[in-house]
Amino acid sequence: MQTRVIKALRPELITAYHKKPFQTPVIGVTGGKGGVGKTTVAVNIASALEDMGHRVALVDADVDAPNAAILLGMELENSADVFTTMPLIDEIKCNSCGACVEACRLNALFLPKSKAPLLLGACNGCEACLLVCEENAIRRGKKHVGKTYKSNRGNLTLYTGELIPSLEESAIVVEKVKERVFQEAVDFDIIVVDTSPGAHCNVIKALQGSDSVITVTEPTPLGAHAFELILQLLDIFKLKGTAFLNRADLASPDDAMQSIAEEHNTSIGAKLNTDDELIKSYVAGNPVVKMLPESASAKTFVRLAQEITREYRI
Amino acid sequence: MKLCITSTGKDIEAKVDPRFGRATYFLIIDTDSGVLEVVENTAAAGGQGAGIGAAQIVSDKGADRVLTGRVGPNALKAFQESGIKLFEGVSAQETVKEALARFKKGEYSHTAAPSDVPPRGQGVGRGQGRGRGGGRCRQG
Repeated sequence: MQTRVIKALRPELITAYHKKPFQTPVIGVTGGKGGVGKTTVAVNIASALEDMGHRVALVDADVDAPNAAILLGMELENSADVFTTMPLIDEIKCNSCGACVEACRLNALFLPKSKAPLLLGACNGCEACLLVCEENAIRRGKKHVGKTYKSNRGNLTLYTGELIPSLEESAIVVEKVKERVFQEAVDFDIIVVDTSPGAHCNVIKALQGSDSVITVTEPTPLGAHAFELILQLLDIFKLKGTAFLNRADLASPDDAMQSIAEEHNTSIGAKLNTDDELIKSYVAGNPVVKMLPESASAKTFVRLAQEITREYRI
Repeated sequence: MKLCITSTGKDIEAKVDPRFGRATYFLIIDTDSGVLEVVENTAAAGGQGAGIGAAQIVSDKGADRVLTGRVGPNALKAFQESGIKLFEGVSAQETVKEALARFKKGEYSHTAAPSDVPPRGQGVGRGQGRGRGGGRCRQG
């Protein structure tokens, strides 16, 4: 099978894609690889911004395994269900033309001989079948695929997306949790979005509309590989930002990471060595900026938070 | 009777393709007249739902029997809905011609309907057995 490599998308498409109807700056935190510290970075920067007196929205967009609430020691509250469309076919109106079967990119619909189509396969709710049905024989059914939550503590509001385990509609849940926070964006001075690992549709959806992106990585072969992939994705979607080199002391010198960053015109904005105090706060489920403010980790996060406030004048 | 045999090539000397949804060709043989129709399986290239897509092609071509190696649950349901009888168990080593000869001798057994999907006969309510099919894992 042929693999098509996307090198560039049309600039006007990218501009339209990232357009948002509010002024609140949006900072994405991503990283490609799992376990590099994305959520730790996002949670601590959000907490540092909160401590400076800003109204902060933190979005946990890793809907397959949301865990920012655990690191913050917060409960998930104010749930809202997320649904996708499942086609409901009216057999009386249906003239068995087969247009819906042809339109279905997932081959989920099957048209038995001289009967109405049946949904046999996995539907992702794209609604192409509804659009092509000239008899209006297809109605929108609902499939429950997950929840979004909004939890509040002081000046920090956590928005969490959660996919029902075993389902595949994760990008829709990411979209819905983003929609929820973007609708309420005027209530905040800043929005921080923590993405899932990877360089796929969920990450793209999570980073949509970001004014800048912090890419968390580590100087290991796996870290370098994922770093290269995520920076390629950021290039395609014209997302700018800096890299955060976590556990920087794992490899010194870090020439490999530096050269990957340079290739993508990204600077390494912060380096953090392995820090026992950060691990202590991680185990305690309390952000290090709150629990151990004098630690090297806390100081790094506070510095990054200050840089954000200066850059966006909040 | 129109019998569909999954094949790696375009004639009956070709080896059988034991896969159904990802089979390269369908050879549809009219067992009364001996007429052979070669149909390319365009569903095989798709990322998802190859079984259902392939069953659609076979059903649209008017086959009423399918002989292949193994069929997945979605294609099996599709066959039931279209009233196509399924015969499984051909191996990749045999040619279509050999498989056809063995089929005529009755060496392949008919795959019965799975117990969770009641067959839908004439006059039976539509609502039963309509698996909504949600939740199958998709990579990427």
